Amino acid sequence: MTVAAREVGAKSGLARLLRLPRTRRSGRRQHASGWLIALFVLPALALYILFMVWPFFGTVYYSLTSWDGFAPTKDFIGLNNYQVLLADPDFWEALSHNLIWAVVGTAAPIVIGLPLAIILWSGTRFRLVFRSLYFVPVILPVVVIGIIWGWIYNPLFGVLNTLLETVGLESWTRGWLGIPDTALLAVLATAVWATFGLVVVFFLAGLQGIDLNLIDAARVDGANAWQRTRHIILPGIAPIFTFVLTITLVGAFSVFDIIYVLTRGGPGTSTEVLAGYAYKMAFSRNYAGYGSAISMVIAILSLTFAVVLLRYRERRRADG
Amino acid sequence: MASAAGARHAPDGPRTLWAWSAAAATAKYAFLGFWGLLCLLPMILVVSLALKDPLLDTGNPFQLFSSIRLENFSDAWTLGNFARYFLNTVVIMVPTVLGVIALSTMAGYALARFEFPGRGVVFYLFILGLMVPFFSLMIPLYYNLRDYGLLNTPWAVILPSIAGAGGVGIPLGVFLMRAFFLDMPEELADAARIDGASEWQVFRRIMLPLAAPGASALAILTFLSAWNTFLLPLLYLAGEQNRTLATGLLLFTGGRTRELELTAAGTLIMIAPVVLFFILFQRQFIRGLTAGAVKG
Repeated sequence: MTVAAREVGAKSGLARLLRLPRTRRSGRRQHASGWLIALFVLPALALYILFMVWPFFGTVYYSLTSWDGFAPTKDFIGLNNYQVLLADPDFWEALSHNLIWAVVGTAAPIVIGLPLAIILWSGTRFRLVFRSLYFVPVILPVVVIGIIWGWIYNPLFGVLNTLLETVGLESWTRGWLGIPDTALLAVLATAVWATFGLVVVFFLAGLQGIDLNLIDAARVDGANAWQRTRHIILPGIAPIFTFVLTITLVGAFSVFDIIYVLTRGGPGTSTEVLAGYAYKMAFSRNYAGYGSAISMVIAILSLTFAVVLLRYRERRRADG
Repeated sequence: MASAAGARHAPDGPRTLWAWSAAAATAKYAFLGFWGLLCLLPMILVVSLALKDPLLDTGNPFQLFSSIRLENFSDAWTLGNFARYFLNTVVIMVPTVLGVIALSTMAGYALARFEFPGRGVVFYLFILGLMVPFFSLMIPLYYNLRDYGLLNTPWAVILPSIAGAGGVGIPLGVFLMRAFFLDMPEELADAARIDGASEWQVFRRIMLPLAAPGASALAILTFLSAWNTFLLPLLYLAGEQNRTLATGLLLFTGGRTRELELTAAGTLIMIAPVVLFFILFQRQFIRGLTAGAVKG
């Protein structure tokens, strides 16, 4: 990083946020010809701008219009879509499902994944076998996950109901995905099943950075397993913890596919989330403008959480 | 790095640090095993269903391995149209992987090793792509693709996937490859320059071969993402003749009980390449996945 670039970086808010990487090894960059640099950067930049940046600005613009997806003109209506949105009970219900998703879908994989990672790291037989097993759901296509869990929740022959009957809990059997009371939790459980392995792998990667001598020393000093976990392991994986928190929390505001595959947002609106509502409005009801306003809410929520968590991470890193 | 996990603690690593009693050890393996089984059993269920003979077996379809009929796979492949879905998925996956690798490697190299005005802005623009959810561009992208004449062609999935709309694309690729090139020693390149190599030759002959491990990790992530991608073909690739494995299988979702064995066979056809890749390249895969997290 040259001095000039670092100064520019230090001034911009985004740079503070993401922290410009400080001097790396050589710290020296080559002055190649403009053509060569253009050849290297422009193809990637062009595709990225055309298919990511430009449509993003399209969403901002659409959300300020009443466009129906067909009309030749897009009528500018200011913030009207957002006003309608704030008074739309379906919007609030969808948002509440995203919030439930954010809490449960973040907490459950961590509560399951962190102990598993610590046990695997602290040494056990077949650790690679276990790690690979936990990772199987992570690599499965979401459609496949949906098909399998559709069978598991099947009201007639479903594996879950059969299991409950076998252990004498007939009264608990039900059509899990067909009842508004249980549908959201059933879909969430599937999502947790599909993600906890990823959390295990991330925590395992973070645990590799912990100095084992420190743990040995703590043991010699009489610290028990809980104290070692609390004072050495948890602080040691704090950066990874924030990272996991960031991807699961931010992901919760744009959850869509597993819900679409399992319930299409139903029964009724009991599993509808923001992304599904935006999809429905834009592509089933042709409210491109209104759907875009919902999309903007998703973008604002995701970016806000991402920025807040990244800043928190930076602050911790600066303190540490 | 996660892949080095096993080797580093042996033989007297933390194993000795935790003094497990016999009861604690039992509890430990019960806990590990419970979650392992929970991951494994649904897969066994799929295999059992895919082997079921619907004529012999009319009872509970979820009875494990009550009959064996291997023709289900060929039926799914031909009658179930999975040959077509498979081909369509390959047609999308191959250009996506090649595009992401080529473009990310070059842009990542330029951002790591060249000095040029606007370098910081370009880098942060790419990084922003890691944080922007797909849903905040999904609607205009539909109409853009329609206006470009790409809608309902494989390019409607390939190009946005390369750009990063599908999750793993240029933004993640540039981020990973840039970090990879930053860590490379400059001395080799200097030696080549003294021998009269141009900047292009330095990249092509010296740096690119050294970047192979990073590029292969990225390739595996991109392959998985492109193979499994579901939302992009759902939105931008309509029509039976265009269906990919993901959108083809979508027809069978919702737990309907008809033609269970063909659905299960189709499911296995879709995940076979993924599982094979994972078994072969688990190390690179997990390294690629965790590189960004650990480095930050």
